[in-house]
Amino acid sequence: MAETGNAPTSSTQQELVIERIFDAPRELVWKAWTEPEHTMRWWGPKGFTCPHCEIDLRVGGKYLNCMRGPAGTDFDKDFWSTGVYREIVPPEKIVCTDSFADEKGNVVPASHYGMTGDVPLEMLVTVTFEDLGGKTRMTLRHEGLPAGEMSEGAQQGWSESFDKLAEVLAKA
Amino acid sequence: MPTDRLSTTFAALADPTRRAILARLTSGEAFVTELAEPFKMSLPAVSKHLKVLERAGLISRGREAQWRPCRLKADPLKDADEWLERYRRFWEESFDRLDEYLGEIQERQKKRKKEDKDGRDR
Repeated sequence: MAETGNAPTSSTQQELVIERIFDAPRELVWKAWTEPEHTMRWWGPKGFTCPHCEIDLRVGGKYLNCMRGPAGTDFDKDFWSTGVYREIVPPEKIVCTDSFADEKGNVVPASHYGMTGDVPLEMLVTVTFEDLGGKTRMTLRHEGLPAGEMSEGAQQGWSESFDKLAEVLAKA
Repeated sequence: MPTDRLSTTFAALADPTRRAILARLTSGEAFVTELAEPFKMSLPAVSKHLKVLERAGLISRGREAQWRPCRLKADPLKDADEWLERYRRFWEESFDRLDEYLGEIQERQKKRKKEDKDGRDR
């Protein structure tokens, strides 16, 4: 059951912070985040499934997740995301980048999935897990990365989207 | 037919009239009649262009059908809020599922422990 009385979540323009208290020991919550067989069971909004999850849990290692929207809805397709682990402190903290991707793990802009708005190509996700004696307080910070901090992968994503643009223009 | 967002956007921008409409809207929102004026076009013709721009997400229009002003959709702060809001929904709903799943695993662990214990007691 969902723990009530979670701290209110807040956001500013550039980041969002979500805090949850789970009625589970910290090691288990850590596992749920870092082992694909567990992550696949909860990754994605209600009604979504996660048919693919790869996790290379080391600094510099990558993850590649797929979430599949409910059949017959606007989200009835596969959404891939990838990122690079920047910091791993078991079972306390994970810092990783987060981007939309294609199924091969190449970074793509959000427009690839028909999303509008000024979505940053690469985001930074920081998750911390605090042991509350059998329960766990998890805090997630999700923020856009300025272009200057973009990794090579993200820049590659841009150059690919420019290739795509060139294609579109060639056809026009 | 263009299907992805980028194609839709570029198809919308490929027309000089539509680019001129967008240029006009950078100085503020305008009614269809005002937009039609400089082009010597019929209202239905302008409406057609506006529909293309709207579908591409480049402009938005007010609620009252007849009198709705058009405006550029380019407010980056609003956009930032929109994508954060989408991520908020993604995470919140994922965490609801995580919460349920953590409950399930622990139930299973408890059950297994009990079965092991029962097995030993037998």
